Amino acid sequence: MPTPIRFFTPEWAEAARAAADAGPAQEGKLPSYWSWIERARAGYTARWALGLREAGAYLVLTWKDGRCVEGVIAPDPGDAEYVLAADEATWQDLRDGADPGRIVMYRRLRLERGDVLAFFRVIYFFVESLATLSRVAATPRP
Amino acid sequence: MTELSAVAESDLQGIRDLDIDDVLAYVHSDLKRLPDYTELYRRYLRQRWDVYDLDFTQDALDWRERMTQDERDAFVGVSAGFHHGERQVEVELPVFMLGGSEESKIYMSSQIEDEARHTVFFDRFYREVVGMPGDSVQDVLDASFEHVSETFVGPFGLLAYQADELRRDPEDAAARVRYGTTYFLWIEGVLALSVMKITLTYCRRRGFLPGYYTGFTATCRDEARHVQFGMRFLRDSVREDPRLLLQIHETLRTILAINGATSRTLALEALGWSADEVRRLMIRQLKMKLVDVGIALAPDIEEMVTRIEPELAGG
Repeated sequence: MPTPIRFFTPEWAEAARAAADAGPAQEGKLPSYWSWIERARAGYTARWALGLREAGAYLVLTWKDGRCVEGVIAPDPGDAEYVLAADEATWQDLRDGADPGRIVMYRRLRLERGDVLAFFRVIYFFVESLATLSRVAATPRP
Repeated sequence: MTELSAVAESDLQGIRDLDIDDVLAYVHSDLKRLPDYTELYRRYLRQRWDVYDLDFTQDALDWRERMTQDERDAFVGVSAGFHHGERQVEVELPVFMLGGSEESKIYMSSQIEDEARHTVFFDRFYREVVGMPGDSVQDVLDASFEHVSETFVGPFGLLAYQADELRRDPEDAAARVRYGTTYFLWIEGVLALSVMKITLTYCRRRGFLPGYYTGFTATCRDEARHVQFGMRFLRDSVREDPRLLLQIHETLRTILAINGATSRTLALEALGWSADEVRRLMIRQLKMKLVDVGIALAPDIEEMVTRIEPELAGG
């Protein structure tokens, strides 16, 4: 079992990037669902800034041509196309396996900047990426 | 009394004898004329029903003793999308009420009350018939969530984020039209009416679940007002500013793009439906509304419509 790294640190950001880049384990859902996600991901280029409100910090993930090529912790979202933010309790629930779709539906993760329609055209790709990266083993922030 | 006037005038007891096809015909009967918001509000005052008047005693017996396990699984799978859908639209609608004319705001207060009542209807059904545990409405929602498809977040998450967008400026005409396309046209006009047709036809053919049949048929009659309000809102918005048609198109492109993902097999056969029949039903529901209110589609959207995948949720 890997040694947990501290949540929202540069090490965790790199682990989250690697997890997002590797993608979800394609199980438990119909093959057509995973095919949809692969189509959405193919050639995808955008930057997501996923904020942790209490820390005033963002995990900024850069997607280029379908690969997640960079993951850093930043004090602001910079030029990210999509800026989303959640509180510590929501991130904790995601780490504990909460359904990321329901987190979106209940607006516990809010889209603070970005084109809503364009964001939703890849929504299942986003939701599965969020599930994957948020479950990287991590210890809470001090 | 004609079938349509019977639909319009029936009390809760009488609704139990209505055929869902007559109620669906009633939904569409006024789409060409499109009543104004005050007329719809007056209709609400006449048609409002008490969700606590429903008796689920026979439903509980049917559920335990007459329905097969396959039927129960399929029914729960289909209705869970509605249980959460009703909750979701009840929560997302108030922001839409902040904009528009005073008549629109008054009417919208009635639709919010409808959606809250529909949420209670499903809460009662899941507690008293399905037997799901819970001390609160949220507990029962939590218990039924495992039956909700992963792709539910597509239309309903979109609505939540569009509601946030609208909250920043409730009078933003383009944001209102995008929200209205997702909610009134797709969720109410296509998804909800399709689920109603499927589950209510099943209940009527099999003679099962009279409490559910009564309450959900009354819910469908409520949807007539919701759809007619929504179609009038979209039609009038485009008449006032034809550029807003592009907002309808862009929203439909998004909705139809995410409709292509299916995460679970829908056990429609147990309820007497095939995937192709549901697809045709959804396409028909969408096209009837667009044609009746004169909203034309771009060719690429027409092409996407032909590839609609069965999706069972509503609100």
